[in-house]
Amino acid sequence: MRISTSWGQQQAVNTMLDRQYQLSQTQLALGNGKAIQSPSDNPAAAARAVDTTSASAQNDQYTRNIQSATTRLSNEEQALSSAGDILDRIRSITLEGMNGTQTDESRQSIATELRQTLKQLVALANAKDGQGEYLFAGSRTTTQPFTIDGMTVTYGGDQTQRMVAAAAGLQVATGDSGSDVFMAIRGGNGTFVTSAGATNTGSAVVGATSVTDASAWDGGNYTITFTSPTAYEIRDAANPTAPPVSTGTYTGETGTINFKGVQLNITGKPALGDTFAVGPSSSQDVFSSIAGIISAFEAPGGGAPMNNKVNAQLLNLDQAATSFLNTRTKIGARMNTLDQQTEIGADVKLQYQSTLSNLTELDYASAASTFSQQSAALNAAQQAFVKMQNLTLFNYLK
Amino acid sequence: MADLLSTGISGLLASQVGLSTVGHNISNVNTAGYTRQTTTFNARSPQFNGGFYVGQGADAVSVQRAYSQFLTQTVWSANSGQSRALQYAGLTAATNNAVSGSANLQSALDGFFGAVSDVANAPVDTAGRQALIGKANTLVSTFRSLSSQFQQIDSQTNQEISNSVDKINSLARSIADLNGEIQRASVGGAVPNDLLDARDQAISQLSQIVGVNVSQGSGNMVTVSVGNGQPLVNGTDATKLATAFNQYDSSRLEVVGPSGSVISGQLGSGSLGATFDFRTNVLDPARNQLGRAAVAMTDAFNKQHAQGIDLNGDAGGKFFDIADPAVLNSSTNKGNAAVSAKVTDVGKLGASDYIMRFDGTKWNVTTTAGVVVPSTGTGAAGDPILIDGLAITVPSGTPQTGDSFQIQPTRNAASTISVAVSDTSKIAASGPLAATKAAGNTGKATLGNLKITDTADPDFNKPVNIVFTSPTTYTVDGGPPQTYADGDTITGNGWTLKLSGVPAANDTFTVKPAGSASGDNGNALALADVANKGVLDNGITTVGKSYSQLIAQVGTAGAQANTALDAQQSILNQAMASQQSLSGVNMDEEASNLLRFQQAYAASAQVINAANTIFDSLMSAVRG
Repeated sequence: MRISTSWGQQQAVNTMLDRQYQLSQTQLALGNGKAIQSPSDNPAAAARAVDTTSASAQNDQYTRNIQSATTRLSNEEQALSSAGDILDRIRSITLEGMNGTQTDESRQSIATELRQTLKQLVALANAKDGQGEYLFAGSRTTTQPFTIDGMTVTYGGDQTQRMVAAAAGLQVATGDSGSDVFMAIRGGNGTFVTSAGATNTGSAVVGATSVTDASAWDGGNYTITFTSPTAYEIRDAANPTAPPVSTGTYTGETGTINFKGVQLNITGKPALGDTFAVGPSSSQDVFSSIAGIISAFEAPGGGAPMNNKVNAQLLNLDQAATSFLNTRTKIGARMNTLDQQTEIGADVKLQYQSTLSNLTELDYASAASTFSQQSAALNAAQQAFVKMQNLTLFNYLK
Repeated sequence: MADLLSTGISGLLASQVGLSTVGHNISNVNTAGYTRQTTTFNARSPQFNGGFYVGQGADAVSVQRAYSQFLTQTVWSANSGQSRALQYAGLTAATNNAVSGSANLQSALDGFFGAVSDVANAPVDTAGRQALIGKANTLVSTFRSLSSQFQQIDSQTNQEISNSVDKINSLARSIADLNGEIQRASVGGAVPNDLLDARDQAISQLSQIVGVNVSQGSGNMVTVSVGNGQPLVNGTDATKLATAFNQYDSSRLEVVGPSGSVISGQLGSGSLGATFDFRTNVLDPARNQLGRAAVAMTDAFNKQHAQGIDLNGDAGGKFFDIADPAVLNSSTNKGNAAVSAKVTDVGKLGASDYIMRFDGTKWNVTTTAGVVVPSTGTGAAGDPILIDGLAITVPSGTPQTGDSFQIQPTRNAASTISVAVSDTSKIAASGPLAATKAAGNTGKATLGNLKITDTADPDFNKPVNIVFTSPTTYTVDGGPPQTYADGDTITGNGWTLKLSGVPAANDTFTVKPAGSASGDNGNALALADVANKGVLDNGITTVGKSYSQLIAQVGTAGAQANTALDAQQSILNQAMASQQSLSGVNMDEEASNLLRFQQAYAASAQVINAANTIFDSLMSAVRG
């Protein structure tokens, strides 16, 4: 076959140009470490790399969300832990105030201390998070949620719970509204409350109460009336003329009264006509409970009326302490979830990184070997070209 | 004896022609399009010399090109193919560079949704809100920058088209002129080899721009037509092609024939055809896909933003702004109808452009590729024409039969997206409603998820009390009693509220507007989740995914173009090798021919010398 001299040269030059281009592409890849210089190099991998980068960025964002939520939950946990301490202190002061040796005057000074403690508790309830937002305000995070006027504390927040996105489809609460934590606390023992009649003259005091059979308790209002110091009858408060629901004998200091699945321990000596009301628990805020104790201490006289009132409020305080504890348990559970999610996030991040590295990062070993192959090929092409140039008949026509 | 002299001279002259041809070949070794020439010699008619013939020497009878019409045409066709692939690959590479460059939409999207999450983490923090607006602007400018890069490529194609048409016209002119010269030079059967080469070279250059079809005419002239039969050169006449603005879109050029008809689609191979193919098959789909992502982003984010309330307690306004689909009227329209289009359902939005044409009674819609799109509606304001997530109306004017409009739903959308919110307090991070459990409730029911279903409900913002008349019965805002079981969802005016636990009689729950300065982050969480929400393709494709689809789409086009270029290049190389093998100059061959003719020349000179010697001998014999 004939070879055209200029076409042959052009072909040789084209070959060198091609090899040079391939070599420069490999050099570029070695320089910037990328396996994909342009989407056309590997369209599927380029698209997957974009998706993976995005998923990784979103994963990082979830981690940031979790950090922010963890801070907020820690703040809340801290505030509630302090609030629990304050309740303990109130309880011990109160028990001290109930001591029979106290006088009106000493009870007054205990009440003064309690007033101070009440303000401390309100201050805790108004705690803020790291960004200056009120923790226990629901969604009204820029307005102080609890305001105190005398001993009346009002809640200005709402019941909205803030959430955080901890993972795709996983939202975790980053707070509890002040209403849930401080305000809507079930009174009494959580099921029913008792109160002594205002005109009671005996020394009988309601102590511990409990529910013995939840299914028998119907949530009604009942009145226990002592028909004698040793006998009582229980009537439905809504229908006092109906026959008594139950009657019984009061056996003294250690006696209990059972009806409709509930049990009351009454100690002391009731007088004829003394009454105790039993009704369903309703919500009472922790501040009112403290205020109730303060009022009871501030009222002169002490004795059974005071003890009955304070006992009832102590039950409420226990409920409040339980509410704090429950909330803290919830916070703990949420933080656990978030911690777990952080770990999952870290694992996922590693996976994304390794996927991304497989997709887009250069395999240096193979690129380096390709580079040396390609440079050898270019070298050979160049040498062949020079040798070919000398092979012309004209060289011999002299 | 005189015969021997004339025989020697004939050899001398014939060798001279041979040497000239060899010299010509050697001189043109690097001339593009040059065809090797060879001299043909014939023995002269012999002289009858009483019983036998005596040879009279040689004549150089012709100089011929080593030419094959078939091989040359194969080169032209391979040229068109390679040039097409080269142009296509070049333009596609520019598109690839645009999407792999610094304007990375995905990272802008990630940054933006990250900022939304940061607002969800601290909803009333002004700094976070400011950062969100900043990231939104980054996102918008990334959309715009990508879109403007695509637009630049588009105007580059216009430039290519107009340059190509100029070149075609000038080459057509040269071919026609060469036809004339060749005809004039061809008198008496002589072939003007070098003019033929020049014409072939011009045709070869033409074949790079557009596929050619060449047929031989009379007087060695050729007739050239391009593409699918558009005549370009006939004898000494050259047809002039021209560019004109697209019937609908004055931002792009089309090629028109002498009659004014558009022939852009009929150019076939060559770099010009590649430019049009690239525009239709790579650039427009890429721009539409990008625009679709912008429309989807705007629609999904705005919809969710409107579900929330801002720090002033107002419902969220538009967060992003974007232009409605472009409607371009044909320059040939006779009526005065105006058409407008709106996106009604992003989920159904495709990447096509549409043509709607009035047939005298109703509007018919097709894609730009000509596929009929089934549609409903008359186009009246109350009865819009509905196609693929678009509602098209003809709000004013009367169309004439044959009037048509082009609808580009998303072509330029990415360049029109902007951030509508500049005031940090206008970011609607809060859910619009707040549920409350009354303080006096004695039951154990607690609030669950409050879900917004329809903010457009007329009573949406009306405070509503849910009152339980018994543990299993409730009324909503004094309405008829309804039955409740633990965990039921209660439906209100455009919202639902889930309760859990058993309520007691007279327990009350209230749902009312959240009010201003709300630190709720319900809507911010939902806004951040827009990133994961399928909005396109009937709710399958997220905005981010639609961008990676764009990358895949552009990348695949690039990879295909590169493969095609490799294939076309080797086809061209083979065609060239075959053609050059026949027609190219080989220096060694010429060197040997040079020697051959040199030797022949020298030998012929010797013949003359011999004749002279013979003559001298005769003379001296005569002198005695």
